[in-house]
Amino acid sequence: MTRDEGQSMRWAGSSSTPSLKGVNLVRTFGDGTARRAALHEVSIELFPGQIVQLMGPSGSGKSTLLAILSGLLEPDSGQVLADDDGVLRDVWQMTGKEREQYRRKHTGFIFQGYNLFPALTARQQLEIVLRWGEGAATGDARRRSDEMLDRLGLGKNKHKKPAQLSGGEKQRVAIGRALVKNPSFMFADEPTSALDWENGQKVIELLRDAAHQRGASVLCVSHDHRILPFVDVYYHLDDGHLERRALPVE
Amino acid sequence: MSYALQTLWHERQRYASGVLAVTFSAVLIALQCGLLLGLFKITSIPVDNTTADLWVGSQEVPSVDLGKPIPESYLSRVAGMSGVDHVELYVAHFANFTKPAGGTELCYLLGSSLNDDAVGTPVVLTREQCDSLTMPNAIIVDESDVKRLGLDNPEGKAKINGKDVTLVGTVRGLKSLAAPWVLCSTHTARHLLGFLMPADHVTYLLARCTSPARAKEVAAELHSQYGTEMGVYTSEEFSLRSRKYWLFRTKAGIAIGYAALLGLVVGAVITAQTLYSATAANAKEFAILLALGVPRWRISLMVLGQSFWVGVIGILLAYPACLGLKYGAKQVGADVDLRWEVLLGTTVLTIVMAIVSGVFALRSVRQIEPMTLLR
Repeated sequence: MTRDEGQSMRWAGSSSTPSLKGVNLVRTFGDGTARRAALHEVSIELFPGQIVQLMGPSGSGKSTLLAILSGLLEPDSGQVLADDDGVLRDVWQMTGKEREQYRRKHTGFIFQGYNLFPALTARQQLEIVLRWGEGAATGDARRRSDEMLDRLGLGKNKHKKPAQLSGGEKQRVAIGRALVKNPSFMFADEPTSALDWENGQKVIELLRDAAHQRGASVLCVSHDHRILPFVDVYYHLDDGHLERRALPVE
Repeated sequence: MSYALQTLWHERQRYASGVLAVTFSAVLIALQCGLLLGLFKITSIPVDNTTADLWVGSQEVPSVDLGKPIPESYLSRVAGMSGVDHVELYVAHFANFTKPAGGTELCYLLGSSLNDDAVGTPVVLTREQCDSLTMPNAIIVDESDVKRLGLDNPEGKAKINGKDVTLVGTVRGLKSLAAPWVLCSTHTARHLLGFLMPADHVTYLLARCTSPARAKEVAAELHSQYGTEMGVYTSEEFSLRSRKYWLFRTKAGIAIGYAALLGLVVGAVITAQTLYSATAANAKEFAILLALGVPRWRISLMVLGQSFWVGVIGILLAYPACLGLKYGAKQVGADVDLRWEVLLGTTVLTIVMAIVSGVFALRSVRQIEPMTLLR
């Protein structure tokens, strides 16, 4: 039995119904002779409570797949079916406004750069998402932001601005910003690449907790093999072709 | 503190050029308008330096220095109005001034009553000067006009319309724009003007009313009864009327408009560029918010909020600068009239300019795409 099969059994809380499905996704870039296919009929399923790692060489189409699944980049063909309050809807059949609303309700993002506002405190980085995204009241946004920062071990740092935080702390604030609205889907693009392994491990543990404790579907694009022991499913993408691979046995 | 203001403060070095551009625009507009208003105050000096409530002159007189002779008999029309306490004669006209050492200048004679209860006596005159002016052909001029009129030359005799005049004193605060103001008694003025002022005619009738409010009513009543024969104005109206006339007649308003427009354009371009580059510098942070589903209009609103605060801070810096420059201008004899209308107008214009700059800077928000965050 491979480790991923074992993991699938271990998460009894996770559903057997996928929360996000990419079906026959095709995406090309460029025109004429410079036309290059980034994705060839790629299909993928993400389940609630599961953390999935997507690996592959540079230029293999990993970020393109993440962007299409998260509603940021339109595929040339294929479907992205997402669980929107119990109904599977094609993200790319939605209007721009519906898609924006879908992202607001369901998706969280973490990128390699922390991309925190230099002028805002850790608490405000989270508050702004709730206030401007959901239109949450100031008090409610503050309470939820504080709760999230406490959970991430940043309770003492909530009044600090990015310049006063370490790289690991900044990435945790960025994770808090993505998680504070309790998203169903978390998309992480190279979340550990700018961190040492000690901080990288903390970050990946937080992403795993988001999946295992909060039931989110987490897709993590990374080159880092050290992450593999922490994930439930491992996909490899090469030259636009996706292949599910067995996780190494512990 | 709003996120917009907080960002502005944190990145104050980045926004400094925009703030300074707004300050520059505001100072330019306020000072230009203030200088112009200060300059054109000179045209209403004869009105502003009396204590009269009402000025009665020829019909539709455009400015105090352009009054035509009216019959003295109109005095009974004014004196007969209830609420009018006192009416007196005022003789004013252009005259030819011959300098003691030769050469001529156009001057404007202001012949007023010099009695204790007179309302036409220029307020800058002392009692002694009033007494001196009762002497035949005695005149007083502003000290800034002494040299111009050649009165600093002890030799020779000055003449007005060919008649000898004697300088009995000088005053401050009656600076002239074109023709120097020459103060004298009504008697002297009549004598010097000769045929230019027909017998039994004056240029103005000046009245004191029981109250300024009553003055307005009296002006309206006189206007409705005798509007086809004479012009009736309260002092404030006549002062403003004189300034407006010269402002528009000289087209100085257009010049000031262009200068202000130039200031606004320069300010707007620099502010727009500052906001654009500041927004572009935070593009990745904004892109994250867009990826998380924050509507683009919220980000646009923040940029507009920043432009508003850039305007407000720019204005707050501009006012002390304006007051300093006003003081400096006063030291060299220029009056900058920074009345509240000028300050309010400048505030509104520059804040609108800053917000419009923000609107132009919004193109940087439109260019933000969450996809750029993916490597």
